[in-house]
Amino acid sequence: MIETQLSELAAATEARIAAVTTADELEAIRVEVLGRKGKLAEVSKDMGKLSPEQRGVVGKLLNAAKQTLENALTARKTAFEQAALAARLDREWVDLTAPAPGVGLGSLHPLTQIQAEIEDLFVSLGFTVLDGPEVETEFNNFDALNIPPDHPARDMQDTFWLSNGHLLRTHTSPVQVRGMKKLGPPLRMIAPGRVFRNEEVDASHEHTFYQLEGMMVDKDVSVAHLIYFMKTLLSAIFKRDVTVRLRPGYFPFVEPGFELDIQCLICNGAGCPVCKQSGWVELLPCGLVHPNVLRLGGIDPEEYSGFAFGLGLTRLVMMRYAIDDIRQLQGGDLRFLTQF
Amino acid sequence: MKFSYNWLAEHIDGLTVPPAEIGKLITMKTAECEGVEAHGAHFDHVVVAKVLTAEPIPGTHLAVTSVDTGRYGVKQVVCGAPNCRAGMLTAYVPPGHLGVTTAKLRGVDSDGMLASAKELGISAEDEGIIEFAEGEPGAAIAGCTADTIVEIDNKSLTHRPDLWGHHGMAREVAAIAGRPLKSIPADLPEGAPAVEIEIRDAKLCPRFSALRFENVTVQPSPLWLQQRLESVGLNPINNIVDVTNYLMAELAQPMHAYDAAKLQGGKIIVRVAEEGEPCPALNGQTYTLDSSNLVIADAGGPVGIAGVIGGGPSAISDATTTILLEAANFHAASIRKTSTKLKLRTDASMRFEKSQDPVNTVRALARAKWLLEQVSPGIRLVGGLADLYYPLPEVAPISFDLSWMRRKLGKPDLTAAEVTAILTSIAFGVSEADGHFTVTVPSWRATKDISLKDDLVEEVGRMIGYGNLTPVPPLVPSVVPPLPPERAYLRGLRQLLTAQGYTEVYNYSFVNEAQATELGLPIEDHVRVVNPIAQGQELLRTSLLPNIKRNINDNAREYESFRMFEIGKEIHARGQELPEEIPHLAAVSFERHGDGVANLFELKRLAGTIAPSCTVEPAEARPFEHPFRSAKVILRNEAIGRLFEFHPAMVETGRAAVLDLDLVKVQALRTAAGKYKPLRRFPTSAFDLTVPTAERELAGTVLGFIREHAGSLALDVRYLYDYKGDKGRSMTFRITLGAPDRTLTGDEVTAIRSQLLAAVAAKYQ
Repeated sequence: MIETQLSELAAATEARIAAVTTADELEAIRVEVLGRKGKLAEVSKDMGKLSPEQRGVVGKLLNAAKQTLENALTARKTAFEQAALAARLDREWVDLTAPAPGVGLGSLHPLTQIQAEIEDLFVSLGFTVLDGPEVETEFNNFDALNIPPDHPARDMQDTFWLSNGHLLRTHTSPVQVRGMKKLGPPLRMIAPGRVFRNEEVDASHEHTFYQLEGMMVDKDVSVAHLIYFMKTLLSAIFKRDVTVRLRPGYFPFVEPGFELDIQCLICNGAGCPVCKQSGWVELLPCGLVHPNVLRLGGIDPEEYSGFAFGLGLTRLVMMRYAIDDIRQLQGGDLRFLTQF
Repeated sequence: MKFSYNWLAEHIDGLTVPPAEIGKLITMKTAECEGVEAHGAHFDHVVVAKVLTAEPIPGTHLAVTSVDTGRYGVKQVVCGAPNCRAGMLTAYVPPGHLGVTTAKLRGVDSDGMLASAKELGISAEDEGIIEFAEGEPGAAIAGCTADTIVEIDNKSLTHRPDLWGHHGMAREVAAIAGRPLKSIPADLPEGAPAVEIEIRDAKLCPRFSALRFENVTVQPSPLWLQQRLESVGLNPINNIVDVTNYLMAELAQPMHAYDAAKLQGGKIIVRVAEEGEPCPALNGQTYTLDSSNLVIADAGGPVGIAGVIGGGPSAISDATTTILLEAANFHAASIRKTSTKLKLRTDASMRFEKSQDPVNTVRALARAKWLLEQVSPGIRLVGGLADLYYPLPEVAPISFDLSWMRRKLGKPDLTAAEVTAILTSIAFGVSEADGHFTVTVPSWRATKDISLKDDLVEEVGRMIGYGNLTPVPPLVPSVVPPLPPERAYLRGLRQLLTAQGYTEVYNYSFVNEAQATELGLPIEDHVRVVNPIAQGQELLRTSLLPNIKRNINDNAREYESFRMFEIGKEIHARGQELPEEIPHLAAVSFERHGDGVANLFELKRLAGTIAPSCTVEPAEARPFEHPFRSAKVILRNEAIGRLFEFHPAMVETGRAAVLDLDLVKVQALRTAAGKYKPLRRFPTSAFDLTVPTAERELAGTVLGFIREHAGSLALDVRYLYDYKGDKGRSMTFRITLGAPDRTLTGDEVTAIRSQLLAAVAAKYQ
């Protein structure tokens, strides 16, 4: 009986599908039973021998058996594929806590970083940035800044003198002279750079350090402008509101000259060891540009006035990172430098 | 410079500012105060005491004394002073002062201390306990008082000759406190000049004034004078010298007293020294002088180095009975030059180099006469003032308008009355009409300090107080600042380097001779430092490499591998001109283990990212380079730097590859992006070609050969890899062909390939 034959085949095949253990066995069953020359195909060959009525009944049975077996096959196949994928993924386990191979980021020197940060502030305020040479003429370093030979103010800056008759600049102020000549009034400029003092080196003294000179020349620049400007700038540098005060200070290239103090950022003026209990920390020298200096820069002091200041970049770096030994900055020790 | 509060107060009528506040006031208005400290607070408690008995303690140098201290009663005190004896009057310090406590010495109770002049802070005398000729037990030590010492930063007095004495500082304090300054008379009796004076160069010595005294008694100064000098850091010596020092500290006028009996001839000559002329000085040294030094001379030669130090033979001694007292004025720069050259900075030279006021000499002599009469009883003036004076050119009156002063300070509500009051309070002569000022400068501010109207802005501003100015935003044009492209370039370069793992180092601009020699850098190419104070600062670097090499070896002790770079300036001598300063990059890749090849190629790749399209060409190695790992870096046919590995003798612990680029050249030769090229519309064809070569054939050379022979349709030729086997070395290249206007046919490609193969075969077998 063809019906019996069919149902037996379907039941046996279903049992075999359920029992396979590999995808290959499953495929073999598919070919054997459902393939073009498979057992179901053979059964369907005999269909022609049946009566049209029988043919309709058996045809339905045949299709149902085929459908059932295909579903069972697909389900098993999917299960095998999923298991295979899961196994592959499992094999692909990676220890992501292991270090990444290849090269990590290097570090910029802390002085480079603070200099860039401050340059950007100034540029945003319309200042240009100028460079000057490390080796300067005596004239630019001293005379043009109103410090003639044998002036006692030269004692303030122990100088490295050179075999060619020149010197290593003791401050970035000579760039004022170069800047005035290059830019002409009105002008706003800064000059960051390396300066030199002939001093013994220890944890708090260096013969090589970094300053940033700033200058603004325009009509009617006043002390009140200077105070406003320095307060704005220092608040930006320290990223908080800073209280400043000016008091007299002597620097031959400014008149009047000031020492600018900021209220101690540690104790907010209450007094602490950092500010030596005074509530104030001396931060930078500044003043109105001396008329002699303007004149030597080719600017008429009757028409223009200006202010100038010198910011100690090395000092700012040491303050920001609480560095207690200035020699680290030029020691070339990567254990120090990679911290920034 | 130390200032005594009591001394300042003596010059001011009714000073009420308490000592604790005076330092802050001076700091805010005049000069930087470095500290305020109490001096001699114990004088409120120390008393005169009479030693009643003094019994030696056997086996020691000590004595147990019984002293009558008046207000503290009779006390038992153990004392070790050699001069301690019954009957003497000395000073008693009760427990609780000067660190004295009630104690047991050698088993004997001691309640307080008998003190020396040094322990009391009166003088340096510490041979024994102080001894008084008179006094009642229990009385305070006559003339000695508690004081407050204000220390002012010398640098902030550089421009103020007048502030090197108490009277000048008192003028400031009086003005700040709004009290009148007491004047010091300059009157002297008439009389024939006591000595003949000759000044050979009035520029170097504008004024020389002198008085002669006889019947002089040289003895210790009274205690008040000793204590006062001691309190401001001057050592009491004897009454005569102490008077000169007192006036220096009071009027900022250095003075000198000569033993008149030791001066030869009747004349004082102020002249430049002769070449090699010796001058024995009162510090025991003999200085050899030249024509840049000014001397005070008598008929026998120099008796002092002008403005710096007095002579030895004519110094005041116990035997002195007549003195010549000098108060002179000298050219500031000349004194500074001499003192620098002789390495002799004295209290006198420090003052003279600030341009002292020539008007001051006579006032100082008058004050000295008054003081000498107190400290040397019976002293008599002989004759009158000797005074040779070549007045300095006067400072013209300074004119300015109130509106100008307002604009400079940024204080629009400043009034003429305020300006007048301030300038008058510090002794300027002021006349004002309708806001127009004419100001005369007092002599002590006129020597150098004040000559311009701008100088007066400071005077007015500081006395108003800068804190009383309202900060105002400046009105400036809004412009995009012109930024030099180098800065942006260097900033970008630094970012590129750190992104590739390199850490930035900063090195000094100095190298020492040994470092330069080690790398074969000619010493004579360097700019030399004339006055280095430490080793290692003799030369300015003509290369970053000596210090980089040091960085490598230092860090090799800590790291197995590292990458670092420096951007800094090479400084190349150009005779007397300013040297050429060339920014360079030195980048290093170090590996302790391994063959170093990867490090070199890493730096080659780095060069390519910094200077795209640069090539590398083998170069003869310099002595510090690995002889077979050294090359020039070329950009547009110009050498822009060097790629090499340090010779193992230089870096022994590993392999250090270095890229050294001249950043001026790199910037000059790099090209900006130009006009865009349309993208290809037709496909390309590529084929690989393997070329058998000699072992040390250069890939760059073979590549160049292929490129040259591949024809105009070769879009790209690139090296893929090489192979070293039994039959030698071969290199494989990939050639990409394409035409702009069509797709190449297979025949075309084959033709080009065959042609190239033939050329390669002819050249490389």
